[in-house]
Amino acid sequence: MAEDTKPTADPEPAAEDLSPADGGPTAAERFINGILPENPVYRQLLGMCPVLAVTGGMKSAVTMAAATGFVLICSNVIVSLIRGLLKPHLRILVFTLTIATFVTIADRTLAAFLYQMSKTLGPYVPLIIVNCLIISRCEICASKQSVGVAFFDALGMALGFLLALSSLATVRELLGSGTWFDMTVLPAGWPDWGVMILPPGAFLTLGLLLGLCEWVGQIREARAKRSS
Amino acid sequence: MSEEPKQGGYISQAWLVILLALLYGGALAGVQTTLGPIIEENKKNETYSVIPELIEGAVKENTEEIDVVGENGKRQRVYKALGEDKQLKGWLLAASGQGFADKIDVLVGLNADLSTITGIYVLDQKETPGLGNFIIDPPFRDQFAGKSCLEPVQVVKAGPVDGNQIVALSGATISSESVATIVNKGIANLRGPIDKLAAEGPSEEANTPPEDPAKK
Amino acid sequence: METVINLIQIAIGAALINNFVLHYFVGICPFLGVSRKVDTAFGMGCAVTFVISVAATLNWTLTYFILRPGAPLPAWIWKMVGGDSATTLDLSVLSYIMYIFVIASSVQFVEMYVRKFFPPLYKSFGVFLPLITTNCAILFGCLEILKHLQDPTALWGLHEALALAIGGGIGFTIAISMMAGIREELDMCDVPKSLRGAGIALITAGIMAMAFMGFAGVDRGVQQAVTFLMK
Repeated sequence: MAEDTKPTADPEPAAEDLSPADGGPTAAERFINGILPENPVYRQLLGMCPVLAVTGGMKSAVTMAAATGFVLICSNVIVSLIRGLLKPHLRILVFTLTIATFVTIADRTLAAFLYQMSKTLGPYVPLIIVNCLIISRCEICASKQSVGVAFFDALGMALGFLLALSSLATVRELLGSGTWFDMTVLPAGWPDWGVMILPPGAFLTLGLLLGLCEWVGQIREARAKRSS
Repeated sequence: MSEEPKQGGYISQAWLVILLALLYGGALAGVQTTLGPIIEENKKNETYSVIPELIEGAVKENTEEIDVVGENGKRQRVYKALGEDKQLKGWLLAASGQGFADKIDVLVGLNADLSTITGIYVLDQKETPGLGNFIIDPPFRDQFAGKSCLEPVQVVKAGPVDGNQIVALSGATISSESVATIVNKGIANLRGPIDKLAAEGPSEEANTPPEDPAKK
Repeated sequence: METVINLIQIAIGAALINNFVLHYFVGICPFLGVSRKVDTAFGMGCAVTFVISVAATLNWTLTYFILRPGAPLPAWIWKMVGGDSATTLDLSVLSYIMYIFVIASSVQFVEMYVRKFFPPLYKSFGVFLPLITTNCAILFGCLEILKHLQDPTALWGLHEALALAIGGGIGFTIAISMMAGIREELDMCDVPKSLRGAGIALITAGIMAMAFMGFAGVDRGVQQAVTFLMK
């Protein structure tokens, strides 16, 4: 019987863990995947802390997305390069070490060249270290795939994160101050919805946007079911 | 699952972690040496760039930093603002205290004979956006210009103002009062020591000035 | 007496006014993930409070003696190897790495301790304890303490650091337990399909955050009351 040729102790690797050569997702597919279908915030619900905290304005949201993207891509690439040397029970340690180093570099660079923005973002840049998104990408993808695949996966996730942050920041900044990227967009008569800039506004906006994404997803599923 | 490695096996298991730790430590040391000075510059510039705005005729490069001991017994840094010709134009002191939401850091400018406030600048605040936030804007701050240092600044809810009074921001009374309290406390704490320092003459307790005067 | 008032102010500030979850947005993942039942939520809150206290103590010691600019231990070593005493050594660039390691180790030790001495408690926590490592709240607490160890004229002592840490942990426990209580009720309500789960939880959190905004100024009032009573 053909099934007995494989040792029973070894389970079938999940489709996602396969490298492109073995039939898993290609680099391009992973890239597209990260932006909308597996969006880190709206689908995977990871990395919520910065999403709520820095989305009061577009500028800080984009800076945070850039910093997170930098750390994500660099640590994924490094982890992918050393994936052959990782010991199973020390790998989380290695991931954390790598991520913490790149976060320190990002934080210092921001403080040196964008000092005001660094003060606005405050403690949320070091909090990128505990952003579940980065550790989970290192664990799921970078430690098992080649550098190219890991790079595009990280890039896709970073863009997805940027999309999530921007969408939330746009709503909060437009309704809260009538500006977008600090340029006045709404007419002067707009009464600023102060609550949008404050914590409650962040929670409410994210909750409603999540609901919106779910609703769109459900409509598409229903349509797909009807047409199949 | 593999068993935990025995004693001697730890190094062979952990060599990667140790190597990475050393590499990353080196990288961070490099980052610190290159970027550290720039960050220090940024922090200092934050205060210095405001000096010409608060004190007329001051040239920020000529500013001297001096440590004095305040009335509360603690050492504090004050800034001596000098003009083009190194003439004394005014003094600045940093004061901080509890605002409505969190700490507020204020830079207070005093004129050369320590009789009036030339203006204030809010360095750091976390007040409510849209309400207490407006303490950073000129309309509120400019009220302090010209007020006397010899008695406390008082806050009233509505104009017209009389004597050493300012009008609070509508909807942000506590933030406004906090700023006034911070300014008053700072002046009360440091005005005497600065006066003594000005009378004694310079360079007794002067720290190294930011720019080397040999550059002239 | 003033120190006690100061400590109370710091603790109330961290617990109610600047609640870690509802004001600073840290610790959202467990806040949304573990808040289904009040018992587990309360347990998680207590675990977080314990770990944050341990981590804050260790990190404060580390920062005060080694990492901050002008710290005593590096200065002493520098003098030993013959360096000049004018340069102030600043090892703060290593802060983030050291903090996260200390936190991860604290969680390991707490897990071993609980497993050895309180087995039934360990069973009920299950997988939560290792998850606390990536809990933003702990790293955030340590970062807040770091912020107050920068100015050499106004350094925070261990008592103030602990007040912040324990206050923050208690605030987290209050928030997560309240959320669990509300969610237990929501399970029986007719929530729109797209908002079920995270959506309605976040909206609830928003309303809770609005409620907690009402605590602003409480620490000032407590201070005035205590000062008045002391007279």
